[in-house]
Amino acid sequence: MASVVLKNVVKIYDNKVTAVHDFNLNIRDKEFVVFVGPSGCGKSTTLRMIAGLEEISGGTVEIDGEVVNDLQPKDRHIAMVFQNYALYPHMTVYDNMAFPLRIQKMPEDEIYERVTHAAEILGITDYLLRKPRALSGGQRQRVAIGRAMVRDSKVFLMDEPLSNLDAKLRNQMRAEIILLRKRLDTTFIYVTHDQTEAMTLGDRIVIMKDGYIMQVGSPGDVFYHPGNLFVAEFIGAPKMNTFKAELVKEDGEYYVKAFGSKLIADGKRGEDLKAKGVPGQQIILGVRPEHMFLASDGDPNAIECTLEVSEMMGSELHLHAITDDGTRLIVRVQTINLTPEQRKSLEIGKRIRVTFEGKVMHFFDAETEENILYPYIPEEV
Amino acid sequence: MSKQENYDPSEIKRHMGMSAKNRISNTVIYIVLIIMSIVWLAPFVFIVLQSFRVESTWMVGYVVPKTWGLDNYINLAKTDFWHWYTNTFIMALATAVGQTVIVLCMSYTLSRFRFKMRNGLMRFMLILGMFPGMLSMIILYRLLKDLNMTQANAVPGLILVYIASSGMGYYVSKGFFDTVPKTLDEAARIDGATRAQVLWKIILPMAKPIVIYTILTAFMGPWGDFVVARYISMNTPAGMNVAVGLNSWLSADQIISRYTMFCAGGVIVAIPVTILFMCLQRYYVEGVTGGAVKG
Repeated sequence: MASVVLKNVVKIYDNKVTAVHDFNLNIRDKEFVVFVGPSGCGKSTTLRMIAGLEEISGGTVEIDGEVVNDLQPKDRHIAMVFQNYALYPHMTVYDNMAFPLRIQKMPEDEIYERVTHAAEILGITDYLLRKPRALSGGQRQRVAIGRAMVRDSKVFLMDEPLSNLDAKLRNQMRAEIILLRKRLDTTFIYVTHDQTEAMTLGDRIVIMKDGYIMQVGSPGDVFYHPGNLFVAEFIGAPKMNTFKAELVKEDGEYYVKAFGSKLIADGKRGEDLKAKGVPGQQIILGVRPEHMFLASDGDPNAIECTLEVSEMMGSELHLHAITDDGTRLIVRVQTINLTPEQRKSLEIGKRIRVTFEGKVMHFFDAETEENILYPYIPEEV
Repeated sequence: MSKQENYDPSEIKRHMGMSAKNRISNTVIYIVLIIMSIVWLAPFVFIVLQSFRVESTWMVGYVVPKTWGLDNYINLAKTDFWHWYTNTFIMALATAVGQTVIVLCMSYTLSRFRFKMRNGLMRFMLILGMFPGMLSMIILYRLLKDLNMTQANAVPGLILVYIASSGMGYYVSKGFFDTVPKTLDEAARIDGATRAQVLWKIILPMAKPIVIYTILTAFMGPWGDFVVARYISMNTPAGMNVAVGLNSWLSADQIISRYTMFCAGGVIVAIPVTILFMCLQRYYVEGVTGGAVKG
């Protein structure tokens, strides 16, 4: 159990490529932090710098108040689970899990106790005498987690641990990691490229792009108040719809002009706009697919578009449509609410009319792509 | 119902056609292989037969001895043979240990560590390896003479020579280490292992064929060496290895009385190596192919 503090951490590879720029983050004791971002964003590199597998080119990493820049991985008191499991193929499951303890020269009795205890929690007791090659992917990942569990490490690092598993198993293991976290009650740093994993597991999510932190916040924060367009589009599936639009201030009221429609910003959004006194300007308007719906016939401000693809997901339909000026958008429609006439009208190639409420709009600066109302302000480290 | 009834007759015919073709090509292959093994084995069989001949110690015009006996083997004890044999054995053993340790450490280093001039060093060793080793003989002799490690004291000197340049033979084992995923090293280091522990506890147990291959080649070098050993021992029987010693019996004044003993000595020299190879052949082949193909 320990805090992990990264101050101005920089990673420059030998070929002069900068993988991580000025990374500042304070991970609190017992917190579950997820690094998420597209491939090549520097999330794994940052994790490997914390682990000591990658040299730190600049800045400091502190674990439990101690600067660990020059410490070997073995002296950092961390445990790590790798994407490809990294089990020792010549050892049995038991020996794999006992390895870190044997290196510490722990008495065999205690090793036995710890390994069998961990195996019981993970449900791999029956496989203790097998070699890794005789195990399935899910079982291997359990062994890898077990090997990390048996030690009293201060920080638990996981580098895309579920990426090699099939979708069903991934969901199951995700739930198990949540349970494991409760049981171990230690600091977790988890790397993934999957926003669902990030949202479901993390206390806080660190969204990265090209070596920069785009936003740090709780799952609710990053979903409801994305600091910029990148975060807005990265978090949430299907991704947020964005349109070029104009924010107009008229008689102290705000509305958005897009596709010739006039969409009034009411509710909390309208209040916040007024409170901040935001001037009228060109913006990028963001609306999540689940916040859009099919407009009623009389609605004068609905957006006209043509249905291109309709994906039946069971409880909902994902409608991919294109507006007359060529902007693509996605609408998630609950199938249970559809009338038979509506169902009939949702044929590919047909015109549909969609709309959304003013309170679900996100406003991004057309140039900086920052959230106009809720810009992300990095926390001081 | 037997399974065979389900076969399509044309399929069976096609198989028969193929097996006839296979038979012919197999026959050719076996004939070639048999001829090759005869050519290979003939000298060895010849030497073994000569070593059991007791009616004459000189060369004769026939192959199979007229009188069989162990005299030649027994008489070896009256010569320096066992002294040379021990010399060779000590040298081969020491070299096998020293060279294996150095080669494995070197290979692991070059496979896993990234340091300045790593590529430069590898290229330099590649070029250095293109020069025949004989070129260094004169300077080696001078150096060892200054250290008093020639002639009667040639054994430690030769061990030094055999081990000295062994780091350059890293290619095969580095090729194998390169195929072991790096995350295994990383996992072990996080589990608390030092670099040395990673090598000994994780990598080497997985690299058994390579280790055995390295030991075998390291052992074989000094065991069969003639040129360097001859040069460093300089006609002093106390410092000779078995190849040089036996060769000294082939001089004009000795060969008449020692020719069959020479053959007996040759047989004894071959025994340990043959046994080693028979036991470890599997690993040796795995080592050569495993390291070379993937490297």
